[in-house]
Amino acid sequence: MSQWPLLLTGIAIGVALVGALGGVVSERRAAVVLTTAGCLAAALAFIAGVGMIFGAGSGDRFLWSFPVFGSIAIGTTPLGGIFACISALVYVPTSLYSLRYLERYRPEYSARAFACWYCVLLAAIIALFVCRDVISFFVIWEIVAIASAALVAYEWRRERNVRAAFIMLAMSEAGTIAAVVAMLLARAGSGSLHFGAPAAAISQAAAWAIFILSFFGFGVKAGLLPVNSWLPRAHPVAPGNVSALLSGVILNLGVYGIVLVNSELVPVRYAGEGVVVLVIGAASALIGILYATIEDDLKTMLAYSSVENLGIAVTALGVAFVFTAEHQTLFAALGFAAAVYHVLNHSAYKALLFLGAATLDAKLGGRSMNRLGGLIRVLPVTAALFFVGVLGIAAIPPLNGFVSEWLTFQALLRAVELSPLGLRVVFALCGATLALTAALAVTCFVKAFGMTFLGRPRTPLPAVDEAARAMKFGMALLALECILLGVLPTYVLPAISHGAADLLGPDTITAALVPPFFKPTAAPNPLPSDFVATFHALGAQIGRGAPGRGWVVMLRGGSANPVVFAMSTTYLLFIIALLLAIAYAVVRLASRTRRTSRSPAWSGGLSPVLPEMTYTATGFSNPVRVIFDAVFNPTEVENERDTIYQHFRSAIRRKREDVFWSDRILSVPIERATLRMAALLARMHHGRLPAYVGYALGTLLLVLAIVTFA
Amino acid sequence: MSWFIRGLRAGVLTENLPEGQNLPASLTPGLPRRTDFATEQEALEITSLCPTGALRAEERAVHVTSERCVECMRCKPEQDWRRDADWARFADGGPLEGAFTRSIHVRIVDAGDCGSCLSELAQLNGPSYNLHRFGIFITPTPRQADVLLVVGPVTRQMLDPLKLAYEAMPAPKRVLAVGACAASGGVFGPSVMCAAGAADAVPVDLVLPGCPPPPLAIVHALRALCGQERPA
Amino acid sequence: MLAEAVTALRSRWSCVDWSIERDSICASISPDDLRAITKYLISQEWRLGTIVATETHGQLELRYCLYATRHPGWVQLVIAPDRMERAVPSLTPVTIAADWFEREIEDLFSVSFAQHPRLGDFVLHDSQWAENAGLMRPGVHTSGDLSEQQREWRPKRVLEEEGAFVMPIGPIFSGDAESALFLLETVGEDVVRAVPRLFYKYRAIEKIAEGRTAADVLLLAERCAGTSAIGNGLAYCRAVERASGVEPPARAHVVRGFVAELERLRHHMTSVREICASTSLTVAASQALWLEEQLLRISGETCGHRYLFGVLAIGGLQHDVDDGALRACVAGAAALSPKIDQLRTALENSSSFLDRIERVGVVGREAARTFELVGPFARAAGVAADMRVIQPYDPYPCVHFDVPTESEGDGYARLRVLFAEMRASLGIMSELCAELAPGATRAPAAIRAGSALGWSEAPRGASVQWVELDDEGVVRRYRLTPPSFRNWHGFHVATEGFAFQDFPIVLATLDLSVAENDR
Ligand code: SF4
Ligand code: SF4
Repeated sequence: MSQWPLLLTGIAIGVALVGALGGVVSERRAAVVLTTAGCLAAALAFIAGVGMIFGAGSGDRFLWSFPVFGSIAIGTTPLGGIFACISALVYVPTSLYSLRYLERYRPEYSARAFACWYCVLLAAIIALFVCRDVISFFVIWEIVAIASAALVAYEWRRERNVRAAFIMLAMSEAGTIAAVVAMLLARAGSGSLHFGAPAAAISQAAAWAIFILSFFGFGVKAGLLPVNSWLPRAHPVAPGNVSALLSGVILNLGVYGIVLVNSELVPVRYAGEGVVVLVIGAASALIGILYATIEDDLKTMLAYSSVENLGIAVTALGVAFVFTAEHQTLFAALGFAAAVYHVLNHSAYKALLFLGAATLDAKLGGRSMNRLGGLIRVLPVTAALFFVGVLGIAAIPPLNGFVSEWLTFQALLRAVELSPLGLRVVFALCGATLALTAALAVTCFVKAFGMTFLGRPRTPLPAVDEAARAMKFGMALLALECILLGVLPTYVLPAISHGAADLLGPDTITAALVPPFFKPTAAPNPLPSDFVATFHALGAQIGRGAPGRGWVVMLRGGSANPVVFAMSTTYLLFIIALLLAIAYAVVRLASRTRRTSRSPAWSGGLSPVLPEMTYTATGFSNPVRVIFDAVFNPTEVENERDTIYQHFRSAIRRKREDVFWSDRILSVPIERATLRMAALLARMHHGRLPAYVGYALGTLLLVLAIVTFA
Repeated sequence: MSWFIRGLRAGVLTENLPEGQNLPASLTPGLPRRTDFATEQEALEITSLCPTGALRAEERAVHVTSERCVECMRCKPEQDWRRDADWARFADGGPLEGAFTRSIHVRIVDAGDCGSCLSELAQLNGPSYNLHRFGIFITPTPRQADVLLVVGPVTRQMLDPLKLAYEAMPAPKRVLAVGACAASGGVFGPSVMCAAGAADAVPVDLVLPGCPPPPLAIVHALRALCGQERPA
Repeated sequence: MLAEAVTALRSRWSCVDWSIERDSICASISPDDLRAITKYLISQEWRLGTIVATETHGQLELRYCLYATRHPGWVQLVIAPDRMERAVPSLTPVTIAADWFEREIEDLFSVSFAQHPRLGDFVLHDSQWAENAGLMRPGVHTSGDLSEQQREWRPKRVLEEEGAFVMPIGPIFSGDAESALFLLETVGEDVVRAVPRLFYKYRAIEKIAEGRTAADVLLLAERCAGTSAIGNGLAYCRAVERASGVEPPARAHVVRGFVAELERLRHHMTSVREICASTSLTVAASQALWLEEQLLRISGETCGHRYLFGVLAIGGLQHDVDDGALRACVAGAAALSPKIDQLRTALENSSSFLDRIERVGVVGREAARTFELVGPFARAAGVAADMRVIQPYDPYPCVHFDVPTESEGDGYARLRVLFAEMRASLGIMSELCAELAPGATRAPAAIRAGSALGWSEAPRGASVQWVELDDEGVVRRYRLTPPSFRNWHGFHVATEGFAFQDFPIVLATLDLSVAENDR
């Protein structure tokens, strides 16, 4: 029982709260306070998180007792530790970045307010991971919701921002209520609101109710279909660093909630639950990336891509749930590891990309890709860092996105180990969906990087200089995270495995996935001997002599029919470097005797090629829009052809609008139904007395009926 | 019947390159050549027929500046006409060497031609002449081209694009001026909007007169330019 | 007929002095009447043939030449705008067909056309020429005069949509395409609209013709578009002959008609070849190419030049073509005829080919009429405009032939028209061959001062020309309105809304010559 992580968490919360107070004091120093407090608190939280993962757990401590609700409990869990670490990994660089970023809002908006909310949010998030009972959890949850909404509405003079913040808050509240109900239901039998209290027997119907309520309740935060209307609204309007937090930290809380309910409170029992998670996840991934691909606003595009990434993570989670229900612990662990790994990766690269987009926004005052272009020449460092994020999110090895997507696919491919045919079909379909998603993601981010940084500017751009050092440093830190998470999966996976030990059993995946070496003679050999023997028989002795762990391997089947999945981003890094070096050397050698002449790109003899003659972002992704027209179902707002003198075409005006899928299937109908109901109610209130008496009587009868028959 | 079978059934339509001095008018309308007349007066009269000054009388002989001849046929019965296809002359430099002898890529640039020169160029890829058999290919991009083939007198508004195309080509490169227009400006240049041929814009290596030069003469010129044969 | 027309005009505009000169109704009118009269004439199915601008001693004169489509005859309306203002009311609001004529005159004569919707950057590209360069005005001779300067040129864009951009193709593109720039307005995938930017190949033929002898200008007329040398050359010869009262002998007419049809036959074969090549139907393209080469050889054998240069002369033919050669020509062409038919049947039976040209580049009857398109382009849209019939000239009044028309106005309709016209040309050739009688082939050229219109049906459509000669037989003003100039004007109609990959097909089926347009 080590208490220090809990203590450290307390200190971190304290530091953050001090930061919140300190930030309020001085407008001039607010940014400095924010950065110092943010970095310090997040760093402490990270250490505490590591402690929570690898520590023995503190056991829960009960602070205060309330008459009805029971006592407030805090304590450390490995799961909380993982999420605390992920949050900290985003918060440190973002805090650094904010040091200079806030300048762009001066003097219109107060830096003090920002610093205060920012630190409050940090404190609440750190605290959330040590809450061990329903009451404290939701109190802190609400603080997070309010603080993040306040930050989204930071530029409160713009109506659109405030609206977005309200929508975000409203949807968050609706989700919270669902989640609260679910948790209360889950704890109803046990008589205690403490998470750790022994669970009572729960009927199937109740279990499903809890599952559905909590899944969609927390799904609001996680940005899952169809309850994510807020997400593409809030992200683009929030200040850049807040967008990074929204995607890198806040969305993860939803996943945390889902895992918490389904593992500790009411462990998954039915494969059907997993299937729901799986399907919603895959659908979110596909719809998210489709909208991202056709979006031309850099930040909105990133927001849709968050829907996609959380979708992928939730798909992996669904895999884990199905396997849990089917009692395949190893694959459940694989799926879970993939999910958590993906959440982690997404936090790193998405925060990086959002900060990159924020830099462009701050420097150029616009982020529509149709207007940008050629920025690599003016912002080379930002471009390079952004490129790392793009490689990561497009899942290009050896960057981090590749690792978690690889794990997700491996987990999905293990469908063959499931016996029910229906499940296999679902797995296959979801696998295909994710494959399509992955391909579209590449398209999407080729567009994002190509349209923004390459080519030539589409509109005259102001002369700008590189981002401030603190901003670059913040982004560089995230880029470094992306690279390390990519090339060191063999060190990240054990940590995740540790963190999930409570749920999955000790170190399941480490043993199965990350062998130290493939030496049949290595003693003491932690590997099962048939594993080693099979590998030996396959002739795969790679890794002998190479230092440390380098391979992620999974072996299935017996030695007679071995099936091996393996990858090594670690070695791949070296191989890529080597190949590049060789290629460079060869080119240099071969071209030594040749003269290189340079001339401008051939453009059919047209000179100069004007800015309006370059491919636009919309044009680049238009094929996707055309192919998936059924999904976007755009409405033609305008299609007019103007002619002068009957035959001289002077203008063709066209405009299409695509409504986000979630809005279409959920928000718009709800809005319509609400309005209709309001109209109906309005009609009831026509002020005639007999009618009111009638209402009263009716109600009384209804209540009596319920009381009688219930 | 599929087009494939149809193509096979048509058989080989490609003709061997005819050699010699007396090709039929259908293959080449020919070019006027140096002719001796009975009297100096007669020679001068013939010379005055020529609208482009391609004919030049020296005593009783009438010499021809082929580059200026636009094949107007006015001197046709009187002047001797040659009926071969070997019309090209090196203006500058020499043929491409080495591996280029086996294969070259040609970028055609229309710098104001009337359509006939281009039409004859289009024939080169037809079954009758089949330029590919000599390893000569027409390419749409100057980046891969070894030869810039210019037709037309180079109009003012095509001058810059033509220069750009030349600059976009990698060395070693050659320029072939095809047709009276590209050789000398033809009937159009030099004038307000036209230069006196391709040489005003880019360094021309090989000049092929004719208005238009028949496909056979173009084949000869291209082969001469990549060193597959020597111009007479 | 012409008398009726002039009576009707007199009754409406009694203060205008209407007179009939040969086959034209001529009148000097005030600029204010221009629109009303033109509007009336167009409502009576008259068509704009050309607009000729001339400037002498600073006095600008614009001659609007319209031809009747119901009977032979022309109207020539002359206006002389104010010396200083150089402003004329634009005819474009009355007929869109005047649009490009006015843009051209604006560029070359610095005349401003009131109420014209879009002037500037046309013949003389803005990126190279100063505003009001007025290249065609007297005294502007060398490029030294035309203060060349780089001005910014931006394409006029019509499409207003988020993410719309202009995809440039050209001016140098494809393997052996003529130089022209195409601006495709698109948001990716499908092209909403495509407009050409032409005149890269502008050789100023009209300008350099001034001061040359009538015989030398024939070289320019032939070489304006080498692929329709007879078509444009004939119109020019006729203009000069009419201006100076030369009447070519009967045999010359017959041979002229013969070579014109031979040229039409060969030209249409070229168009068919281009259509096949644009759809990547290599075998068909090769076969068409081979047929084209055979026709070129037949031309060479018959007249000594593969593209029929040097056949025509003012007053008749430059050299006689002997009967044997003409008969051999008919025999040779007739021998190819089954091959041409085979190619047509094969094309009409390959559905993959038809899929690519059907409903592609559609120009309907309405557009073909309002834009006053000419030639096979218009005939495929159901407008039976053919100068050989509506403004007949020798030898056509005494030969029998059909003018094939189609109604769809798409690529396939144009292909059918091409094939049908080839067949008709073969018929005319053999009919003319039978009519041959020995005789002179060239009237003694006694060139007098004068001016006249000349026209012909070139392979691509009506070629309308105007010459003004002085006593020495030197051309003072030469106006050349080739068919491609009219048809390029309709290009954007054919290209409203198509897919990128169809671009070469649309271009090929429209059968347009850049050289002929650019002059
Ligand atoms: S054919 Fe040639 S040489 Fe003879 S007159 Fe004509 S241009 Fe002059
Ligand atoms: S050389 Fe003769 S055929 Fe060739 S482009 Fe010039 S005018 Fe036309």
